[in-house]
Amino acid sequence: MFWLIPMMLGIEISLQDPVFRPSMAGDTGNNFGTSYVGTENFKRVANDPKFWKSLENSLFYVIGSILIILPLSFFLAMNLKEIHRVPRGLLVFCLLVPGLALPGVLSTLFYLFFHGRNGILNQFLVIPLGMEPINWMMDPKFIMPSLILQSVWRWTGMITLFFLCGLEAVPKWQIETARLEGAGAWMRISWVWIPCIRHLGVFAAVFLAVDGFASFSGAYVLLGGSGGMLDSGLLLVTYLYQVAFPGGGGRFDFPAAAAMSLIAFPFAAALSYALLWIRSSASSSK
Amino acid sequence: MRIASLLLSLAAACLCLYPLLWMFLSSFKTNREIFQPTNFFPSIFDWSAYRSLLTGEFLPFQKYLINSLLLSSGQAILATSSSLAAGFALAKFRFPGRSVLVGLAILLILIPKQTMVVPTFEWLDRLNLIGSRWSLLLPGAVSGLGVLFFLQIFRNLPNEWMDQARIEGLSPLRAFFLVVPLAMPGVVGFGVLHFVLSWQDHLLPLVVLDDENITLPLALTKLRDASFRIPEAVGMAAACLSLLPVLVLFGLCIGNMKTALREVVQS
Repeated sequence: MFWLIPMMLGIEISLQDPVFRPSMAGDTGNNFGTSYVGTENFKRVANDPKFWKSLENSLFYVIGSILIILPLSFFLAMNLKEIHRVPRGLLVFCLLVPGLALPGVLSTLFYLFFHGRNGILNQFLVIPLGMEPINWMMDPKFIMPSLILQSVWRWTGMITLFFLCGLEAVPKWQIETARLEGAGAWMRISWVWIPCIRHLGVFAAVFLAVDGFASFSGAYVLLGGSGGMLDSGLLLVTYLYQVAFPGGGGRFDFPAAAAMSLIAFPFAAALSYALLWIRSSASSSK
Repeated sequence: MRIASLLLSLAAACLCLYPLLWMFLSSFKTNREIFQPTNFFPSIFDWSAYRSLLTGEFLPFQKYLINSLLLSSGQAILATSSSLAAGFALAKFRFPGRSVLVGLAILLILIPKQTMVVPTFEWLDRLNLIGSRWSLLLPGAVSGLGVLFFLQIFRNLPNEWMDQARIEGLSPLRAFFLVVPLAMPGVVGFGVLHFVLSWQDHLLPLVVLDDENITLPLALTKLRDASFRIPEAVGMAAACLSLLPVLVLFGLCIGNMKTALREVVQS
């Protein structure tokens, strides 16, 4: 049984962090006392409009970035597959670089790019197209899109690498057969390539969903720890941090924060579970 | 077709790289040039930002850099070894509770550790670890993703080998050490991935570390916070320096990572 010990220890520690603790903290009236208040904290959180707002924002962020990143990476991977090996490696590496940088750094760069009238995006894209310069950081309508754009920039390379490995693993004869059968390019994509990497797509989507729910650094640096204008950029974890620790609102409301994470993670888990379920139902119907 | 693909990917790569290049060039600029994001090249290449950073004029940056390196590599090594062992045990042995443990690993992936900061904080506080480096190392030493990753890798190895090892009278531990070299690309790949992830982690260090041993993401935020006194170029230089280690590591290991990914993907 010796080889079991590291695993047991690992899972033991990790378990005690997330699962046991909130059930205690969530029920404790104050931080160090032991007066239990039952579901009081949960009620308080459920009545907090900001909490729902942040949850909604997070959902929007996650779904938006998944919907943009997956097709984009698939498209890129299909393109990269055509290229000779050596430049392909180089290009993949270039695509990966933003994913390696600290999210905070990306935010700083983004801030400068989006900043006011002089930002790159406004100067190069919006004004030449004859539109009003957009105030990306201040206009509540555009805060979430710029956060999503940042996530796209960050993750596309990583997901492309996944897909590329998946595509390279597809046996050649399948494509040849499809071609001989007279399948056009579109048919080949939708009947051979996509089914072959579907499981990878699901995995990538789950990964992005989890990361999206957990994202903190980007929004924190971009918006200076607040929720931005009208809280339109308030993400779940940012709000959690604001509630629990002094850097934000200074409320030090541990029990409420713990209750919040307890309420919130079924949502995250449900979303990820739904993705897994789609996958299994799709493969069983095949 | 080929040319079009090449051009498209090239364009994507440029889009990805452009801001980072801009960042690198900005570390030579003056404040005024930086706030004109449309001009790309600095008027003169001036290394003073790096110099003031490394001599610790504003912050003991060197210390933070080393601290970050230590913490991230510590987490990577711990997490890789723990999930390597766990993956091996789960893939090659049948024992009661096995599926429960796999389920737990999946649960660990699905519940991001960032949403669990508060309980984690309390738990570490109870253990009296808040502020020390251990408070970051211990939660980082476990990875549900890693367990599943290695589970998949070890599953690809034929079961007969284990039978053989048992017949030869090897203890499971011996067999484990004999098999590990075969999983080497996976070990390196996952180690690098975990290194990068812990390198980027912002929330947990922000919450648990005290000012003495903060990591780079926090140091960068600090540099920006006090940006009234500190020229922007210094922040940009710091950002470049923070990118450098991961970039080098990734560049060295990308072949390995692709091999490992392909192995996991194919099954």
